[in-house]
Amino acid sequence: MTLIARTTVDPVVPDLSVVAPLYNESENVAPLVAWILEALADYPGRFEVILVDDGSRDDTWQHVVAASADARVHGLRLGRNVGQTAAMMAGFDHARGRAVVSLDGDLQNDPRDIPALLAKLDEGYDLVCGWRQRRQDKFLLRKVPSWVANRIIRRLTGVPITDNGCSLKAYRRDLLDRIPLYAEQHRFIPALSASVGARITEMPVRHHARRFGESKYGISRTVKVLVDLFTLKMITTFRSRPLLGFGVAALPLVAGAALFTVMWVVAATQFSPTKATALVFPGAALLIAGAAFYLLMLGLVAEVAVSSERESANEIPTAWEVR
Amino acid sequence: MGAPVLMEPSSEHSERTGPPKHRLISVIVPVVERADDLVELYHAFAGELEGRGEAHEFLFVFDGGFTPPPELAALSRERDGVRVLRFARTFGETAALRLGIERSKGEVILTLPAYFQVTPDGLHAMLEGLDAGADMVVASRSPRIDSWLNRLQSAAFHRMLAGATDRRFHDIACGVRLMRRPVAEALPLYGDLHRFIPALALREGYLVDEVPVRQHPQNVRTRVYGPGVYARRLLDIAAFFFLAKFTEKPLRFFGLVGSVFFLAGAVTSLVLLVERLGGRAIANRPLLLLAVLLVALGVQLMGLGLVGEIIVHLRAPHRRAYRVREQV
Repeated sequence: MTLIARTTVDPVVPDLSVVAPLYNESENVAPLVAWILEALADYPGRFEVILVDDGSRDDTWQHVVAASADARVHGLRLGRNVGQTAAMMAGFDHARGRAVVSLDGDLQNDPRDIPALLAKLDEGYDLVCGWRQRRQDKFLLRKVPSWVANRIIRRLTGVPITDNGCSLKAYRRDLLDRIPLYAEQHRFIPALSASVGARITEMPVRHHARRFGESKYGISRTVKVLVDLFTLKMITTFRSRPLLGFGVAALPLVAGAALFTVMWVVAATQFSPTKATALVFPGAALLIAGAAFYLLMLGLVAEVAVSSERESANEIPTAWEVR
Repeated sequence: MGAPVLMEPSSEHSERTGPPKHRLISVIVPVVERADDLVELYHAFAGELEGRGEAHEFLFVFDGGFTPPPELAALSRERDGVRVLRFARTFGETAALRLGIERSKGEVILTLPAYFQVTPDGLHAMLEGLDAGADMVVASRSPRIDSWLNRLQSAAFHRMLAGATDRRFHDIACGVRLMRRPVAEALPLYGDLHRFIPALALREGYLVDEVPVRQHPQNVRTRVYGPGVYARRLLDIAAFFFLAKFTEKPLRFFGLVGSVFFLAGAVTSLVLLVERLGGRAIANRPLLLLAVLLVALGVQLMGLGLVGEIIVHLRAPHRRAYRVREQV
């Protein structure tokens, strides 16, 4: 793991950065770059395209080098395959624009949607999510799991975004500095953004079927996504007061211990108690009470962790000026 | 992942090909376990490096309990390129290597055990690997001329390790490793992780090359360790495996183990509940204790995982999982 190393490529700061992570996409690089440049031909400001080669095993990097002949195109080659989230993060760390757009490197997102996303951003949003209304993917393997996952994410996080998995998104720089992405959290960007107070909206975008190369997704991710989602929910809710979170989690255990205590008292007074009765119910009550106590102690450990990382725990939420 | 092939020195790094004119190779010799005649070791390897026209410095780091022999002390007074450092108490090999890296000046770092593990002429192939663009070149003793017992131990060790690394190494325990300074400084070394240096470098996103080197005849003897040593090795592997797989997502591990306990407890409780409704008393059945214990254990493990997740989340703004190798 390395610390952030933001390197300046040229001194003129662009207004817009387009970030595209690539993994084994050699055939898609040249068409993608051509398409982005064409879509942004009328863009009034300066822009840069950042292609991130996420440790591809094919000759993607050679194509990126060739594409970087255009001064507006930059390439980053990562030391090894670190996954989409970390690759996007690499792109974001090197992006210098005040607005940043991310999109997939597989030509399934349409760069012609970028101007509309930016216009929406200008209306006063921090994050504009693309929504693939007519998604061109396999129904059973991709669309159904995605529909289920999106519903769960929406319910659990309360962020009304229909399509969390769409990579085509536009961000304000300020927001990206506030949401540290790690592990496989890119699909929770809307939820993470909401947790720091961002204004979020979505708009329909075009979606195309894959032309070259293979999809890198499988259905096995679903369980991992659910575990990650649960984690995210816990962390965003109790990030700055973990003892409260562990206290809440300990409540059902306390209730269980109380229940067994009551059962013990009832069994001991109402019925003829045996030696085993005197052991089993109080034993169960003590075990559960012990677990509850243990959770509270863990909560204290978490408080220690939070207090030793004050600056990231007390993230200042983003806000906007009312005139 | 895990293709058991040696990484070829790739042509795309041709811009770095060719040895720089005045590079200095810092040789770090941690004296932590056993030591052969260190003066002889120095002359053998220094001679080999000089034969190739390489500038070098030797740093001998003595762990607590080892006394530098007077001949070596005399040598270090005589020559600027020989330095002897000494720990006041035992800190172990990882600490010795870190100190050596910190105190050395060379652009290239060679770690060398304090005994003849490989023949000095093996450095030739290793330096060539570095010149061909690798960030780290590790020696792989081949052919192994050890006793079958040691080869068996080594095979078992590598077998267990294979699941945690992206690539299979053939002799990760070999202490002869050549690396560029930035790689050495980026290695997250602590505890006993020096055994996994090639795997750590690979995880950091560096190009690691493994070259076969002849094993030194003096390295051939049967080594049998006490049970404590084997237990520690197993724990080392477990620690490395956990770090490699779950540093960013501890709850995936604790959640999995915890949910197994929790589900076992929940199912047992359910069975007891059904039987109770069927009229059988549960108050005198110790099975209830087991069910409750399992549920409690499951909850505790998941709680531990959550604490881990909170720590990872809080550290996230300061950490990056990627390393940029090239930029255009």
